[in-house]
Amino acid sequence: GEIGLSGPGSSQRAFGINSILYQRGIYPPETFTRVTHYDLSLLLTTDPKLKSYLTNVVSQLKEWLFECTVQKLVLVITCLETNEVLERWQFDIECDKSAKESSAPREKSIKTIQHEIRSVIRQITATVTFLPLLETPCAFDLLVYTDKDLVVPDKWEESGPQTIDQPEEVRLHSFTTSIHKVNSMVAYKKTESA
Amino acid sequence: MDLEDDTTILTTLKSFNSFISRPEHPQRLSEHSAGSGILQSQYKRSMELLEAAERVHSKNRYLQLDQEKKQMELSHKRARFELERAASDSARDLEHEVDRNQELLGQIKKLEERAEEVNKKLTEQKEANDALQKNLEGLNKTLEERDDKLGTANQTIRSLKDEIRELRQKIQNQDSKMSAQTLENQELQEKIDLQQRKYQEVSQLCQSLQAAQSSCSDHIIKIKELERRLVFQEQDFAIVKTVKSEVARVPDLEKELKRLRDDNAYLRLNTFLKENCSLLKEEVEGLRKKLERMEKTKEELINMELEKELHAWENLGQSTGLNIRKPEDLSREVIQIQQREIALKEQNYTLNSRVRSVERSQSELRAELTQQHSKTLEEQKKREAQDALVRRLQKRVLLLTKERDGMRAILESYDSELAPTEYSPQLSKRLREAEDILLKTQSHNAEMEAQLTKAQEETGTLKLQLQTVSEPALLNSVCACIFFLRQKIEDLERERQRLEEQNNILEMRLERHNLQGDYDPVKTRVLHLKMNPTAIAKQERQQEVEALRQEVTRLRDLVRSLQSGGAVGHSQDDTHNPSFSLSLAPSKEVLDLRKQMESSELRNQRLKEVFQRKIQEFRTVCYVLTGYQIDITTENQYRLTSVYAEHMDDSLLFKKGSNGSMQLMETEFSKTLGEMVALHLHHQKSIPAFLSAVTLDLFSRQTTV
Repeated sequence: GEIGLSGPGSSQRAFGINSILYQRGIYPPETFTRVTHYDLSLLLTTDPKLKSYLTNVVSQLKEWLFECTVQKLVLVITCLETNEVLERWQFDIECDKSAKESSAPREKSIKTIQHEIRSVIRQITATVTFLPLLETPCAFDLLVYTDKDLVVPDKWEESGPQTIDQPEEVRLHSFTTSIHKVNSMVAYKKTESA
Repeated sequence: MDLEDDTTILTTLKSFNSFISRPEHPQRLSEHSAGSGILQSQYKRSMELLEAAERVHSKNRYLQLDQEKKQMELSHKRARFELERAASDSARDLEHEVDRNQELLGQIKKLEERAEEVNKKLTEQKEANDALQKNLEGLNKTLEERDDKLGTANQTIRSLKDEIRELRQKIQNQDSKMSAQTLENQELQEKIDLQQRKYQEVSQLCQSLQAAQSSCSDHIIKIKELERRLVFQEQDFAIVKTVKSEVARVPDLEKELKRLRDDNAYLRLNTFLKENCSLLKEEVEGLRKKLERMEKTKEELINMELEKELHAWENLGQSTGLNIRKPEDLSREVIQIQQREIALKEQNYTLNSRVRSVERSQSELRAELTQQHSKTLEEQKKREAQDALVRRLQKRVLLLTKERDGMRAILESYDSELAPTEYSPQLSKRLREAEDILLKTQSHNAEMEAQLTKAQEETGTLKLQLQTVSEPALLNSVCACIFFLRQKIEDLERERQRLEEQNNILEMRLERHNLQGDYDPVKTRVLHLKMNPTAIAKQERQQEVEALRQEVTRLRDLVRSLQSGGAVGHSQDDTHNPSFSLSLAPSKEVLDLRKQMESSELRNQRLKEVFQRKIQEFRTVCYVLTGYQIDITTENQYRLTSVYAEHMDDSLLFKKGSNGSMQLMETEFSKTLGEMVALHLHHQKSIPAFLSAVTLDLFSRQTTV
């Protein structure tokens, strides 16, 4: 359902990820289509591999968000030629555990959801204006910071934090869902002209 | 008319037939008896009948023909009429057709003219088309060339970029290597210093050793000298003794001398001893020599005695204070003096070596001093540079903190725009925490105040006690306690402030690290999908790169083979690159042509060989049969050498003239054949005869000789 415990959070994030991929040109713009959700026209990718990857990640993420074991979600953009991390979109998730324990789900109106999604996408679009151009072919990766005692599922593996060397950091607007508060920020590698 | 004719014909025919049949009956009845006369009449009758029949027939026929003729004429007329009608019609038609023909001809002419015009236009258009196509082709070629240039430029740019990256990496590697090597260098230098110090110590020891060794050797030498002198002195003493003994013998010798002189004189006086004069003379000479020697020894002895006496006197004179009585004392004194000398020399040497070592150490110390000065200067400079860096960094930190504060203010202002209800849980939590802290601090404060009041009461009581007791010592102690406690409080407050600052700094750092993505490995774990787009993209990229590399190597091989194939031109090209048919299509023709060429060349060669062989055979056969070896020396000159030639150089030269006739040239050999030349060539004008004559002549000469 659209209004649920963790549904809005993950789908918001899915839209956010899609818009980041579109704005940063990781995938060509013609592979994205407009889709209507929550009475908003949003961009989603049509690339089947990318779609399956995103659904895998988002489904797993939903589970973990429900269990409140996720601490951060990071989208890392790597340059293919030099294997350097160029950008890092980090979403810190503060889970309100008391809400999970309570039985009555907190409802959110569509308007607030819309407002939040719009603000997220607006933020992303605004930040893209001052981010340096990605001139070389790039690929992205999604990292999830979880609690240590979590059981690692089949298709997942441990990886490094993939931080940027001497980054510039910009904090973005934070938004909340029914049980989480998400602080977002973007770190990017300084261009040499600085 | 016809019918009448017919009936007449028919009636005549009937009559005829009846006539014929009548005579036949009688003929049959009287066949055997009539004989030949009846037969003849019958025959004549029959003949007449036949002729009449024939006449009738011909009349019939004539009539028939007349009828037919009339019919034909009628039909002819009709036909002519119709024909004339038809002719008129056809004439009309012809006229129509002629008119139409003329019209059509006119149209045809017009159409032909138009066609010609159209053809001309067509040709013009074709020419224009060809020109345009040529232009197009030229433009396409230029375009392609430009594209190729662009492609090559892009490739060079890419290669240059790759080179630049590689160079940068190399530079980084080399920088790291350099730093590692400088570190090693420093270590090695320290080691070298240690070694140098050790070496100096060792050299000093060596020098001391050497000095000791030299002193030892000097001592040894001196000892040897003294021993030698001792030996000499002993020898001298022995000599002195012998000399003394000899000196003791001197008066005896003098007496003998006198006697010998007397004998000599006596002998000289005696004349009959002249025979022994020589002997005596020799004796005399011998004695004289002995005398001389004795005199010398005597002189020496005297000298020595004098010297000794002098020495003794001198020594005695010198060493009156030394108790010298014998030469042993002398020697002892001498030894002592020499020992003293040795000791002094030793001291001298040691002092010299010490002085030298001290000088050396001084110079080294001076060098070290200068080094240390330079090092201190360098370090001062480094420190100054680092101080400047520190100042700059501090300024930067200040700016950054100001920025951060500004950003925080902005973000806080942004945050404050949102409805406060969304933050209520977090805010309330923070509020609660702050309240807790406040409560704690308040309680702490209250405790401290309570303690303070307690302390104050205690001091008050103490003061009262003091007032009652008035012991200055207690007051002092209490004051000291109070003072001590106040100091403690101040210290604790300072520490608290310091710890607070540290706490703030650490929290800032933690936040910073969290921002950057750092995590506590004890509590968190970073996960990602194995088949993530980055990994997939990297794999694809690697595959692309490998595929490109393979293609590059393949293309390089192709280029090399093409280049080599262009130079050599054999069928190897096909075996190497069967897939590139387009590029080799022209070269296939070339290869075919080359093959043809090769085959033709082979054929030529074989033909040449065959010709050569045949020519060789022919020549040998000619030689064998005619007896002449014919060589072509130059153009149109033939040299003939006979089998039976007496010398190798004997040959006849023939020249082919412009008119084709052969002429004999003058040679050594031909001069000898003048007769035959005259006979066969001039008289008989036959070269074969001449040649055969020559052969026969030579053969005859050979066999006879």
